[in-house]
Amino acid sequence: MTVGAIASLVVGVVIGFVGQRSRMCFVGGIRDYILVRDTFLLKGMIAFGLVAWVAFPLGGLAGGVPIAGFGRPVFMTLLGSAIGGFGVGYVSILANGCPLRQHVLASQGTGSSVYYLAGFFSGVVVFQSVVSPLAVRYLP
Amino acid sequence: MSDAGRGRAVQEERRRPGLRVSGIQAGVVMALAAVAAGEFFEVRPPDAYGICMACHGRDLLDWLVNNWSSARWPVSQASLVFPLLTTVGVLIGGFTAAVLSGEFRWHRARKPLKSFAYGVLVMNFALLAAGCATRLLLRTAAGDLLGLAGFAAMVVGVILATYWLRWRALR
Repeated sequence: MTVGAIASLVVGVVIGFVGQRSRMCFVGGIRDYILVRDTFLLKGMIAFGLVAWVAFPLGGLAGGVPIAGFGRPVFMTLLGSAIGGFGVGYVSILANGCPLRQHVLASQGTGSSVYYLAGFFSGVVVFQSVVSPLAVRYLP
Repeated sequence: MSDAGRGRAVQEERRRPGLRVSGIQAGVVMALAAVAAGEFFEVRPPDAYGICMACHGRDLLDWLVNNWSSARWPVSQASLVFPLLTTVGVLIGGFTAAVLSGEFRWHRARKPLKSFAYGVLVMNFALLAAGCATRLLLRTAAGDLLGLAGFAAMVVGVILATYWLRWRALR
């Protein structure tokens, strides 16, 4: 478990560095393509998906812990994923970048992203004290 | 970005040459890092947990709160003993890259409340979908149908929001 913490710190440094140099954003690709037909970020996003798709089974063959399999979607989890996913996409565009991009922007001195991160972590408290109990009560 | 803005960005890049990374290179590096973290370095369970800015941030915050008080806020299994530090790592990595390339500069926020509200909203939606934009794609790549549903919904949201922004700008 401590291995995971150190590994995630290293992974974080790597993706933070690479993300800053490339301005990588996981919602910006689609936005840039629609607005100015720029495929720089879109290609990055597609590359991420394809490489991960190939690397997951290969990593399992190479001795890693394979993917154990995911729960079968039922209507309510599907609804949560759909609402959540839609909200992440919509609001991220308004906020001018996905969460990863906002972390990188905050680290290079963008004030609005620092406020975004403050809201991001406050959002955890809101979720656990308001949204999650409501969802548990009203969704079966 | 306007033409003038793009020109300025290009000029800036010429003035300060640094390590340049293309979008594709960034995507490949990030994907390999995410898969390796999940399969070889115990950033699991849950599966496909290598990179998630929302869940890992939640784990870190909740772990600290649990540690300092008697609260029992939920953390993922990967963060039970010691929390995942992806959030901290990204801030360190981004800061290092920005300083090395001379791009670090303070910009004052023009609408701090709005940014704060966006942060709250994105975190809540991300926790509802169990993944930020990055992890939704990662879960899709790992073969999770729920991840695929979340990612597809995210793409729809992005497209609608982009057209809305353009409509508002052209109005």
